[in-house]
Amino acid sequence: MGNAFSFGSYYPASSALHRVDPRIKLALGFTFIVIILLAKCALALIAIAAFVAMLYAIARVPAVNAVKSLAPLMIIVVFASVLNLFMIDGGATLVQIGFIRITEEGVRRFLFVACRLALMMMGMSLITLTTTTLDLTEAFERLLSPLARIGLPAHELGMILGIALRFMPQFASELVWTYHAQVSRGATLGSSPVRGVRMLSSLMVPLFASVFRHAETLAQAMDARCYHGGAGRTKLHPLAFAPRDGVAVVMTALLLVCVLVANAFMAAA
Amino acid sequence: MESLIECTDVVFSYDGERNALDGVTLRIRVGEFVCVLGGNGSGKSTLAKHLNALLIPDTGTVLIDGNDTRDPRKTYVVRSTCGMVFQNPDDQLVANLVEDDVAFGPENLGVVTNELRERVTSALREVGLSGFEQHETHALSGGQKQRVAIAGVLAMRPRILVLDEASAMLDPRGRSGLMRVCKELNAAGMTIVMITHFMEEAAEADRVVVLDAGRIVLEGTPDDVLSRTDVLGKLNLDAPFACDMSQTLQHLGIPVPTCVGEAELADSLADLLPHNPSLTTIDSTTHDNAPSASPTNALFSGESELTNAELSPSGSPAESNDPALAANTIADIEHVSFAYDAPKAKRKRKSNNTHEKLADWGNSPDAVWALKNVSLTVSEGEFLGLAGHTGSGKSTLIQHLNGILHPTLGRVVVMGTDVSNKKAAASVRANVGVVFQYPEHQLFAESVYADVAFGPRNLGLSDTDVDKRVQEALERVGLDFDELKTASPFELSGGQQRRVAFAGVLAMRPRVLVLDEPVAGLDPASRRDFLQLIRTLHEQGLTIVMVSHSMDDLAACCDRIAVMKEGELFCLGTPAHVFADADRMNDVGLGVPAAQRLANTLRARGVPLRDDVLYNKATLANALAHLADSNRVGA
Repeated sequence: MGNAFSFGSYYPASSALHRVDPRIKLALGFTFIVIILLAKCALALIAIAAFVAMLYAIARVPAVNAVKSLAPLMIIVVFASVLNLFMIDGGATLVQIGFIRITEEGVRRFLFVACRLALMMMGMSLITLTTTTLDLTEAFERLLSPLARIGLPAHELGMILGIALRFMPQFASELVWTYHAQVSRGATLGSSPVRGVRMLSSLMVPLFASVFRHAETLAQAMDARCYHGGAGRTKLHPLAFAPRDGVAVVMTALLLVCVLVANAFMAAA
Repeated sequence: MESLIECTDVVFSYDGERNALDGVTLRIRVGEFVCVLGGNGSGKSTLAKHLNALLIPDTGTVLIDGNDTRDPRKTYVVRSTCGMVFQNPDDQLVANLVEDDVAFGPENLGVVTNELRERVTSALREVGLSGFEQHETHALSGGQKQRVAIAGVLAMRPRILVLDEASAMLDPRGRSGLMRVCKELNAAGMTIVMITHFMEEAAEADRVVVLDAGRIVLEGTPDDVLSRTDVLGKLNLDAPFACDMSQTLQHLGIPVPTCVGEAELADSLADLLPHNPSLTTIDSTTHDNAPSASPTNALFSGESELTNAELSPSGSPAESNDPALAANTIADIEHVSFAYDAPKAKRKRKSNNTHEKLADWGNSPDAVWALKNVSLTVSEGEFLGLAGHTGSGKSTLIQHLNGILHPTLGRVVVMGTDVSNKKAAASVRANVGVVFQYPEHQLFAESVYADVAFGPRNLGLSDTDVDKRVQEALERVGLDFDELKTASPFELSGGQQRRVAFAGVLAMRPRVLVLDEPVAGLDPASRRDFLQLIRTLHEQGLTIVMVSHSMDDLAACCDRIAVMKEGELFCLGTPAHVFADADRMNDVGLGVPAAQRLANTLRARGVPLRDDVLYNKATLANALAHLADSNRVGA
């Protein structure tokens, strides 16, 4: 059952990347997205790919885990890139079936978007692979905390995020159990729309019931352990910046420069 | 002595109509180990929640170490003095990593970082989980999760530990680990309040408190309270086996005292009964009225028998065991191996040598093979039991029976059809009904009728047929069709919900009913009702495959028992055969039924009991009475 859901699952190790301050990781993660969106050409993507590959090597996360963590999100990649395949006009027409026309430019865009999205996800899932959820949520909370002055409940949002991530694998395996139970009663998704809807509700209602059941007891368990919001809370792992965080920032900045140079180079050529 | 917990006339109501607690007065001293017993709805969990200010009494007071729980300024003092562990291991862990979860409580208390680390380390050491700091909580076993929860409480340095049915959802191994931790903590001075409905746990306490309808009805030492079998029976609680047994023996005229512990009962029986090991000879074992055998011989013969069965050339001990049953095979599991990550497993099989393959089949958390070369036949009309640890492959095995999982190697044939055949899957699923663990969690429809009708409708039946089947299925599980058909399943009691879920599977009119721990998490009264229901279904002609952690239930119900260990079929045979060698069953941590356990203990002390039959309570009592008679005549 353990493999049903692996996005967000932490890969325990103590590499340099694991030890980078989670605030820096989160901030650089967002920068990374911006960099990827800035990439306009294949050369820039190659630079990014090299960067991501290097990070995986540093983190010592096996490639299998990287690919697995992508599996559930691959549908987005496929959908977005296929959309490009059909929508973009330009260059020589390769295939023409009725009103559907696939052009050279379309294929190029399709490949480009697919690679870009896949790289983005590979890069972002590195964050969850190398950071414990508690660290992640704390980083999230700290990054939001300047907004607490204008009334944003930063600590609460962080806690909600952390608990959501903590329960993901659990709900995933419960969903698999429910699915098996309903399939045992002859349920199928495919045969007709009516039965498909019934099948979906037979999965979703138990899932929501379970969410509420868990929420109720979890709230009591947290109360019982004296949880009362962020005030006066100490940390087992207090966040502190270290020189390696500076290295991470410099490396990301270098990547940005590489991408911009590659863009300029291709534009000139 | 100083009272650490003082409840005085506590009255509490959830709805303002019925009192969940109705005047409870209870004092618990420093260092006491108190068990609170009671059936469902007796108010025992409500009482537990009063002890750490999760609930505040409507009237009356609760003082924890002198702090009134009604005083909001004292709430966190109370909660850190009186730590609480809840029932469901999945609901109370907050963090992904063990160390972060253990630190959660003291973090909330504002303990400084240096001390936090020390507290986490010592709390994990106290529950026997040193070195688990970096493990992910969701990958732990249920028993380990509960121990992490205890560590999380201990890290707050409480003086009282309250366990609210913390062992109810654990397997026997997890339960005994939890009990051991509690005993050790208690020996080190911790006050323990354990809410439970397991009598074996209550028997180990200093004091037992029995609740019914929000009132304390019995209170005293385990010896005093647990021997009141009459009262316990009325409250739908089981008396411990030793109490029950000693009273049965008293009725048969054997002058034993009413004992709570099995060791005591064995002691007094050993004194009363003839035991002269020097007289026992190997020849006398066959004689019916003068059965005796030296313990070593019993062990030896049992072991060789099992080994022979295992080594039978067919690879399926079942066939050699009972050819008559095997004639009418309804499901045939042939050399099935299964891996959740099939490609990886196959790759390893191909590329690796035998040595490394063996390592893969260990019980490590990332073991590749969930099942390894399992062969087993289920005969028409039989009641087959499946025993084994969490993670031994039982649940994986039963999901092969209706084609939810397909074997990586080998095949499963149900009523002549290979279940991996997709076209045949629908008919197989109609014939093999599977009731999963906690089946009530799969209820979803707006009415009981619609939920039970889900299966038949999926079979594409007409409305009249669906109607007929729903009515029939609800009747079979003992629910009233007219009364419940429009009720929402979510408004029913836990036991009724489970019955509705059973009905949902029975409405498919299966010929084989597969049950995965059907009585898990129920109180003793509901357990008995459900086992009776399952027996009735079996008598009506259903073939039953039942997974259970209770050796007593398996011995009482099953024609044959299959024991799984680390993905392999460990042994298979009649209950008498499987439980013949207690040491083997203890080695896999499953043990043997209580009556058999007592018989083994007595035999080991020289009481001439037969080693070739499986004793239940009645037959053991009769055998002992017979021996006592002959002893009297002899004397």
